Amino acid sequence: MTSIAQGLVCPAPIVTNDRVQLGHGSGGKMSAAIVAERFWPRLQNAALGQFADASVVAVGTSEIAVSTDTFVVQPIEFPGGNIGSLAVHGTLNDIAMMGARPICLTAGFVLEEGLSFEILDRVIDEMARASREAGVPVVAGDTKVVGRGSADGLYINTTGIGVLEGALRPSPARARAGDAIIVSGQIARHGMAVMAQREGLAFESAITSDSACLVPLVEKLRELGADVHVMRDPTRGGVASALNEIAQASNVGVEIDEGALPVPDDVRAACEMLGLDPLYVANEGVLVAFVEKTVAARALQLLRSHPLGAGAVQIGRVIAEHPKLVALRTGYGGTRVVDMLPGDQLPRIC
Amino acid sequence: MCLGIPGKVVELRDDNGLAMGVVDFGGVRRDCCLAYVQDEVALGDYVIVHVGFAISRVDEAEARRTFEVLKEMGETADLDWLKEVADDSLAPGRGAA
Amino acid sequence: MKFLSEYRDAHIARALIDRIKDESTRPWALMEVCGGQTHTIVRQGLDELLDGAIEMIHGPGCPVCVTPLEQIDKALAIAARPEVLFTSFGDMLRVPGSDCDLQQVRARGGDVRIVYSPLDALEFARRAPDKEVVFFAVGFETTAPANAMAVWRARELGVKNFSVLVSHVTVPPAITAIMEAPDNRVQGFLAAGHVCAVMGWTEYEPLAAKYDIPIVVTGFEPVDILEGILMAVRQLESGRHEVENQYVRSVRREGTPAARVTVDSVFELGDRKWRGIGEIPMSGLRLREEFAAYDAERKFGVADLTVEEPVECRAGDVLTGRLKPPKCAMFGTRCTPEHPLGALMVSAEGACAAYYHIGKYRAPEAAGVAS
Repeated sequence: MTSIAQGLVCPAPIVTNDRVQLGHGSGGKMSAAIVAERFWPRLQNAALGQFADASVVAVGTSEIAVSTDTFVVQPIEFPGGNIGSLAVHGTLNDIAMMGARPICLTAGFVLEEGLSFEILDRVIDEMARASREAGVPVVAGDTKVVGRGSADGLYINTTGIGVLEGALRPSPARARAGDAIIVSGQIARHGMAVMAQREGLAFESAITSDSACLVPLVEKLRELGADVHVMRDPTRGGVASALNEIAQASNVGVEIDEGALPVPDDVRAACEMLGLDPLYVANEGVLVAFVEKTVAARALQLLRSHPLGAGAVQIGRVIAEHPKLVALRTGYGGTRVVDMLPGDQLPRIC
Repeated sequence: MCLGIPGKVVELRDDNGLAMGVVDFGGVRRDCCLAYVQDEVALGDYVIVHVGFAISRVDEAEARRTFEVLKEMGETADLDWLKEVADDSLAPGRGAA
Repeated sequence: MKFLSEYRDAHIARALIDRIKDESTRPWALMEVCGGQTHTIVRQGLDELLDGAIEMIHGPGCPVCVTPLEQIDKALAIAARPEVLFTSFGDMLRVPGSDCDLQQVRARGGDVRIVYSPLDALEFARRAPDKEVVFFAVGFETTAPANAMAVWRARELGVKNFSVLVSHVTVPPAITAIMEAPDNRVQGFLAAGHVCAVMGWTEYEPLAAKYDIPIVVTGFEPVDILEGILMAVRQLESGRHEVENQYVRSVRREGTPAARVTVDSVFELGDRKWRGIGEIPMSGLRLREEFAAYDAERKFGVADLTVEEPVECRAGDVLTGRLKPPKCAMFGTRCTPEHPLGALMVSAEGACAAYYHIGKYRAPEAAGVAS
């Protein structure tokens, strides 16, 4: 029947990428590329160009931090929360990572025709709870409905506004050789909690999402002021992607120790089963901080004084060698690079 | 080519003629097909699972015997190289992941 | 995790490395056949730690890497059809075909879903009777029992809207092809532990005898691989050429006979193309005639689709150990993880993807990576 003589494989395969793929939303290289190639050239401005968790905009004599995020998690309810609490925590955390105090949120809902009110109410309840606990009100909102088959139930966009105060002004470009790299708690929980429910890959476990508001932890670190060089919440793409972005932005090398990574046993087992690396799995209640070496011990002490930060540990350091690369030291003294993935991490059979 | 990991059989059942069960991997559980090992596997045994199928039974006695030899070897190993890679400012390590 | 974590012990690994270095009188060239073993060696830097005492040559043990271009193209053609729900193991989604990959087919509207087990795919078929569910049955002998059971079960339960696109390969013919190559340097093999858990090791005994090579059935954790290497070295140093078993906790000489019964009922041996290598006779599995109704190639009329492998991708040379990835002219320039030319750059186990990262770290110039 059909015979294809010479495909378009060489010398340039798959370059005619003319449409959006799932990988563009994964937090990896494709995500960075779609922003750099399509959005940035058209929307350029100084604030947007900060490429941090939130953008800092001057208003009179103050500086405010603004961040927006859209939540499309599937399934919309998962152990440890639902899309409602996630939408609040995610945006509050982006504001907090700039060292800003969040003051208000907006929430825009896209609802799928046919979504049950029972589910919608549970989502709004979780959003309200998260907002109340954080002390940050939802001051503006919007609702749209789309036809059956779109929106996977519902999508939520939240925008947050915060105020910068004092000397705490972390930025992805401020990492310096010698900095200690600290993570506030156990990693890879959220991604695996969601994956446990995912059709085709589902498994039973007690893994719960770590979705939480990180503002209290940031407030603990506020006393360290300018010695906190970078803060980031490693969401999609995991700790690995966050470290890569920071290494790039600051033009420094990063070295982490495999044995120091705090991964819960059952999360590790789930990763083993599916062939996934915990470093690339999403987190929603953990922060990564790069702090001046001299305050590392104090930073750990401060984080551990709050329940959310009880599991805080140092996982590595910033070095002058191999700028822009993240390297991992194995338990055997070997090393390997932890690169940014092009798109989503895929479960493997090999 | 074969991502297979060991897990403990914690439930056995018949699924319309097919031997199935639940296998526990360090706290995570999954439904697995036990058809290929049903004659040699009982509750509490360990199996190697690949893509949702138990492909062999773990011989615990053999594992223990051969691991003892390895462990002894490890106890006399030169540890200086480990000290070189350790970092005092880190929290106690968990060993190799 | 029991029977896993203990085999990552750093002290034992160190002891094994020291013995390998002490006992080898020259840098023997060993090949590990299994992609999972390559993964461990490269990720844990085991070859780096062996420090030249032994040369590890990475073999064609990644079923994702060796799936021939034409099977990928058949998958893409089938997945693009509106009535099809195409299911696959995750790592197949980014393998490039002649003009796109499964992820792009999904972007263009194809219903492509990742599953962990072929039984999940069968379950999709049962729950969605108005869809034609196709499963991409890829793998070595380890995965054949699972894929065979899915087909067997489909027939038993009378599920008509289920079929499989088969791309199975077997290991022993590949070892033969490697040993027969005139420029072969491999002096011993680490056989794939889980392939042997299913098949046992009787097929390897004639190979060890014919080619005078030690073959050690080896597991996947660092301690397993190092112990397997030590066992191979001891054989080479004493002039022995036998099949030995390192992976005693999971492998017996007779394997898992019940698994082979089902595989033999559903599949038969046939010639198979290996991507980048070409055809190796009787190295693949195909569905037996009585299961023709479950053959996706026939159901969707793609059985006659043939594709020529492109010349530039040197996957074959890398897969057989002739070429180390950094020496390929495309490496790091036209072929990178973001736009891979061949499967070895896509797959997590692919030697090229592994080297790309290690090379960047150690010495970009030496590894030939354009910075």
